[in-house]
Amino acid sequence: MDRLVSTYVYRAGGKEGGSAVERALKAGTLQMEDYTNFQYNARLVAGMHGFSFMQVLEGPMVTDLFKKRSFMGDDKYKVIDCPYTGKKTLTVPAANPDVCIVHVQRADKFGNAQYWGALGSVAAASLASKKIIVSCEEIVEHDIIQSSPHLTLIPAYRVNAVVEVPWGAHPTEVLGYYNLDRAMYAMFFMMDTTGDTLKLWMDEWVYGCPNRQAYMDHYIATYGSENLDAIRAKPYFSSPANYGAAYTSSWDNNGLERTMGVTLEEMEKMMEERGMLYG
Amino acid sequence: MAKKYTLDELLIISAAREIHDGENIILGVGLPTTAGAMAKALHAPHATLMMESGIIDFQPLVPPNHIADANACRGFSYATDLFSAFTMTYRGFVDVCFLGVAQIDRFGNINTTVVGDYYNPRARLPGAGGAPDFISYAKRTILTMRGGEFVNQLDYFTSPGYLDGGDSRDQTGLFPKGSGPSMLLTTKGIFRFHEKTREMYLTQVHPGVTVEKIRKDVPWELKVADNVTETERPTDEEIDFVRRFAPTEAVGRKMMYELGAQNVLRKAQERGK
Repeated sequence: MDRLVSTYVYRAGGKEGGSAVERALKAGTLQMEDYTNFQYNARLVAGMHGFSFMQVLEGPMVTDLFKKRSFMGDDKYKVIDCPYTGKKTLTVPAANPDVCIVHVQRADKFGNAQYWGALGSVAAASLASKKIIVSCEEIVEHDIIQSSPHLTLIPAYRVNAVVEVPWGAHPTEVLGYYNLDRAMYAMFFMMDTTGDTLKLWMDEWVYGCPNRQAYMDHYIATYGSENLDAIRAKPYFSSPANYGAAYTSSWDNNGLERTMGVTLEEMEKMMEERGMLYG
Repeated sequence: MAKKYTLDELLIISAAREIHDGENIILGVGLPTTAGAMAKALHAPHATLMMESGIIDFQPLVPPNHIADANACRGFSYATDLFSAFTMTYRGFVDVCFLGVAQIDRFGNINTTVVGDYYNPRARLPGAGGAPDFISYAKRTILTMRGGEFVNQLDYFTSPGYLDGGDSRDQTGLFPKGSGPSMLLTTKGIFRFHEKTREMYLTQVHPGVTVEKIRKDVPWELKVADNVTETERPTDEEIDFVRRFAPTEAVGRKMMYELGAQNVLRKAQERGK
């Protein structure tokens, strides 16, 4: 990687610590462009809706975020006059990532992806992207999706691939499935403080595991399955929203059409009598 | 006899006391969430606690690991997205936000991005996150600094305080009137910003700290309130709340890591048997 656009870079270990990003910046192998959380999210929101730019909050115009630019140069921000109020308006360009890999609670086999909890940038990041790969804790029946569409953030027609990966977000959390694994999470950031220790960690937990199951098997062999049991979510179910309606057919129990009060046979007979039918 | 308290506890409790009932509060991870949880539990039951990930009106039961940690509460009232969390701030619906500080100047401008040159940094810090947008539009902002520094000139200007002081923030026309940092909490004392000059001045010192000791940390001639007092001591109820809700915050990072590492080791040894 030689270019990075980011809003927040974790750095562990205080003054003596560090991060992969910091090491790359110091080595001169990485160029980085800084935005605020809102601004980068706004770039994705523009991309998601097919707009070429998005208005953002004007306050940060006075800061170095606006003044100091890296590889994006003039295209990092542009200031325009609002066509309605004449006010100076800060804008950011749309972002349409090539691929978004997103992990959610559940999806159906068609790719309808349901996610709940901290909505953050999940919909914008997914829908702005040209290709979407959904990984999920569980593949569920289509009927489950259909009866809770308010939970679907990504519709099937936008999804290129869907894959069931239990514990797919570990060591971070998935609401309703498991909590963040604090020890494992802390371990990663500790190892990230130097290049050598990060390489050890990556060799063991990423390159050394041919797939996700191998990662989980290695985790259980190292730390024991009781560690996973301790972070498994206990149930606290959303109250069901009633998507039900009064009836599911235009014809009532007596076979009468609900508006006209006639049977199908009666209706067809009248259509014939009135000369409405051809062929 | 009144309970003894740690400096970390004093900071959290001083922050919690700045939250009033009925206010809408944007909380970050660590001290702010604990302060928010305490305020809601003890003196501000109708405060609406919010996180920028769109978790709105929540009551944390354990300290969140990050600003999108919905596992830290048992449900919440309104699930919106990050875009709307910021535009609700822009529209003036957020009373208070909390921000951490790495470098601060005398007018409350903040750096959380780099130490050294931006393009060739000595240390690359987290960066902007939500800070520049929140401090621009929240009605007031409470700053906390643990391990950061006072500087004459920021290495990088991440988040706008009172710019060049006086009415310069208002003069830009970019910010709501009256917005900006309202206080700075450090491990040594509490600072506020002068109504006219907008320069920070020391108003309270924590127990065991002197004004002279604080002056040594500040590279400019620090202004000090005429009636500098010692920071009010926490009540037993407040101390108990912090220890029960956020025991790792009460003891501070050093002791948490020390005992945490021992605990991991002990568990590993038990498995080995």
